[in-house]
Amino acid sequence: MAMARPENVTDKGYYNLPFLKRPLWGWEIAWYFFCEGISAGAYLLATMAELFGRGRYRPMVRVARYLSFAFIVPAPPLLIADLGRPERFHHMLRVFKPMSPMNLGAWALSAYSLPVTLIAAQQAAEDGLPFTGLIPGAVRNLHTKTIAVAGLPAAMTMISYPGVLLSMTSTPVWTRSRWLGALISCSSMSMAVAATSLALRLSGSNDASLKVLNKIEKVAALAEAGTLAGYLLTSGETARPLTSGKQAKTMWAGAIACGLVLPALMTSGKREGKRGFGILGSLLTLAGGLALKWALTHAGRESALDPEANRYATSPNKSAPGWMPPTTQTNEVNRGTEIEKTEPRRH
Amino acid sequence: MSTDTVSISDLLDAWARPEPPQPQEETGFFTDTTVCIGCKACEVACKQWNQLPADHFQWTGNSYDNTVTLSDTTWRHVAFVEQFDGHAGRWLMMSDVCKHCRLAPCYEVCPTGAIIYNEFGNVYVQQDICNGCGYCVAACPFGVLDRNHDDGRAHKCTLCYDRQKEGMEPACAKSCPTDSIRFGPITQLREEAKQRVEQLHARGETDAYLYGADAAGEYSALNSIFLLKDKPSVYNLPDAPRRPAAHLKTNYLLSFGAALGLAAVSALLFAREG
Repeated sequence: MAMARPENVTDKGYYNLPFLKRPLWGWEIAWYFFCEGISAGAYLLATMAELFGRGRYRPMVRVARYLSFAFIVPAPPLLIADLGRPERFHHMLRVFKPMSPMNLGAWALSAYSLPVTLIAAQQAAEDGLPFTGLIPGAVRNLHTKTIAVAGLPAAMTMISYPGVLLSMTSTPVWTRSRWLGALISCSSMSMAVAATSLALRLSGSNDASLKVLNKIEKVAALAEAGTLAGYLLTSGETARPLTSGKQAKTMWAGAIACGLVLPALMTSGKREGKRGFGILGSLLTLAGGLALKWALTHAGRESALDPEANRYATSPNKSAPGWMPPTTQTNEVNRGTEIEKTEPRRH
Repeated sequence: MSTDTVSISDLLDAWARPEPPQPQEETGFFTDTTVCIGCKACEVACKQWNQLPADHFQWTGNSYDNTVTLSDTTWRHVAFVEQFDGHAGRWLMMSDVCKHCRLAPCYEVCPTGAIIYNEFGNVYVQQDICNGCGYCVAACPFGVLDRNHDDGRAHKCTLCYDRQKEGMEPACAKSCPTDSIRFGPITQLREEAKQRVEQLHARGETDAYLYGADAAGEYSALNSIFLLKDKPSVYNLPDAPRRPAAHLKTNYLLSFGAALGLAAVSALLFAREG
């Protein structure tokens, strides 16, 4: 019997339908990435300045401490609102399962909240802010440097885990490249520097730390540009939702123009050091950072529902040969090992 | 003296953790699509046994497939493919289901530990723990799980865990009139599947092969094996699914490395004089 293969069936998969499900994460998660990135980045800056700055950057440390507290406050409500069963948010801490980036992140957030709050409370008490009389003396007398260092692993995890969380899915735009985690890390640091500079300038300070922050910003922006290029190149076709799809405008106008190009122009040559341009540059960087987090989060939906991206991201290769017999494929295939040799590690 | 008195030890027993179920022989599915007649009894039986709500009905125009996809309320889905050129050709029909991967990505990413391997080796979502984070929905390479809009939790095929505990076979396997869906110990099913493929090859149907019987590179074997006769993408299955956790270490290395690098640069710049 003649085995006919109408082209539209085999080339377009199954009625050109996607097989993946779209991710359920939206504005809550985009804003969460924005807030926790600034918070953890500011925490790192404050800690580095305190440890290595030899007391020269006190105003900056003070501002960064307040920022890191202010931006972590909305984080838990955003995450809880995103859940399908918000009242069960505490189930995230039911187990310690570092294999799952979301579980690791939940623990990191919980662990990170303590040092951030303690240090901010101490700073507030030192500054004599209203109601700080209620803060117990035990808190006021804590050794800040020790707490700050103790909180470093949690803060580092807060910066590093979001991109890894997105990568550990089947959504093509998030999984194809290994650079997504690094991209978001650099973006978060860049935003934290911008937020700290902005807060310093708006509070009327013309501190020497602004010069150092400007230098750090340049390195962070370069790193962000580099990791972005790496991410786009290694994602190939799967980055289409960002380069030409629904998120393209947010990506090009927001993340790249506002986040990277314009701020670099604002702070170069004759404009360097000028207060007005500095403020504008910081605002643009923050807007660009939000645009990047927004675009990346929302690109997931388009990517998962794109049947071509689905098929492209799951075409056989050396490390994932699939189960098709060799005759259906064009290259040499490693058929994989026997089932007994690959028993999964279950807990 | 009443024997219905509740003692202190009874009250304490209520709080004590019960004995976990003893591990049983691992079970799974072998779906022989060459004998599937597309009757959809499996879809109906699954809906009825699990009391799943109806989905929004739509005439898709995709042959007899108006179910379209697996979801939180559809745990069996029959795919229909018509490959005809004039009068010559064939039907391809497959009852799709959760693959019950031997190392399931949904199990690996679940942050609450709601997704477990039960005593039968099946992937099971504990509904009293799931808080609807949606990670499993994005992680599944086959698009099996989804979050229910009304109850906020993730749902999928349970391999009729409740029926298995009573020594019964799943509703879909029981209702299948041609025994296309076979249920039993996975080692036995794998043997049956391999023998069936050999039988088909001997008959001249050399395009028959098994999907999921063994591990494929980074992806584990499946406890739901399928006998297919064309590329997986024809049936709306991924040709070569990827394990999301395969590059976890590299991703973390690059991510932490970038953060560490920038922190180090800041430390250096803060340390330098003026």
